[in-house]
Amino acid sequence: MHISEGVLSAPTLIAGAVLTFIGIAIGLRNIGNDHIPKVAVLSSAFFVASLIHVPIGPSSAHLVLNGLVGMLLGWAAFPSIFISLLLQAVLFQFGGITTLGVNTFAMAMPAVICHYLFRKMFLRGKNLALLGGFLGGSLSLIIAALFIGIALVETDKSLFAVAGTVLAVHLPIALVEGVITAFVVVYLKKVKPEVLNWKKNSD
Amino acid sequence: MEKKFRLIKIISVISILSFFFVQSVLAHKVSTYAYREGDKIKGECYFVDGSPCKKSKVEVYNSRGEKVIETYTDDKGLYLFETPEKGELKIVIMAGESHRAEYKISALKDREKDKEKKELSKNSENTKVTFNKDELRLIVSEAVEKEMAGLREEISLLHKKMDKISLRDIIGGLGYIIGVWAIIMLIKKRKNAS
Repeated sequence: MHISEGVLSAPTLIAGAVLTFIGIAIGLRNIGNDHIPKVAVLSSAFFVASLIHVPIGPSSAHLVLNGLVGMLLGWAAFPSIFISLLLQAVLFQFGGITTLGVNTFAMAMPAVICHYLFRKMFLRGKNLALLGGFLGGSLSLIIAALFIGIALVETDKSLFAVAGTVLAVHLPIALVEGVITAFVVVYLKKVKPEVLNWKKNSD
Repeated sequence: MEKKFRLIKIISVISILSFFFVQSVLAHKVSTYAYREGDKIKGECYFVDGSPCKKSKVEVYNSRGEKVIETYTDDKGLYLFETPEKGELKIVIMAGESHRAEYKISALKDREKDKEKKELSKNSENTKVTFNKDELRLIVSEAVEKEMAGLREEISLLHKKMDKISLRDIIGGLGYIIGVWAIIMLIKKRKNAS
């Protein structure tokens, strides 16, 4: 899911960086002081998730968990994911410093969109929350794969096939992440329901 | 209800811990390593968990940035090509899913010097000696090549090991994350106070 350095064209990289900068600014403004531990925990979860390999056919992909981060954080997903990606780039050489903007935007933006689409479902009954969690978790990843695909095709039309593979490989991962997100949401709903209500907390 | 919660807690703790101990705590980075063997260049391309990059496009650029050769890796992630190019070579491999690996092979300076020497000695009258020297060189290089094979394997193994993600990096990364957010929290608190 990480685009390596030297693949994308400069305009794509700059566009990604600018959009990510805006996202981070909105995110940081949205974070209340009480939220920071939660944001940090989800940063860590995202950071570690990429190390978990899921073999799919000839290739293999790793968990992303951007959906989970988005469901619980909303706009704060931007700074949260940015820090994880920065450290992954520095420590593991996943992605790269120049592609940080594009990668962050591609993973955080879908998560934010899904957050606003599904968060109302979390506040309803258990089954709706389960469904909302699943849809949020899986859709975030599918849209993220689409974004990555668009970034690749935008750079070079010949990367169209690569973009297709990115999407295909991440479909099964999306299912796995949907299930993970759904269970986490339902669990949190039982144990600490106020975590799921972002707006209420920040006021 | 209480028991159910406890069970879920235990399961989640175990699953989190298992992230650290499962052997496949390795991810999607592509790496490559290559070396010269005369005019041939042998290389290997692999994901950092050690699995090979099958059928990936290998592009080779010379020091002027021109593409010299294009080839593909085989089922074991190995590639082999021949090139008369003596200068620095850059090998770029695109493995599916937008992963990209790069490796530079340094220029063959010594060989060029050798050639010059050879020409010089050929020009000199003592042709018999140079012939013997050439023969000797061939024999020595053959013998060294055999010795080197094992060494090269070891080097490529080392390369693979270095590319693997260590537990230290993971724990360090988690520490950094907590640190960064703690700093953000501090700054926010100061702003609120002022």
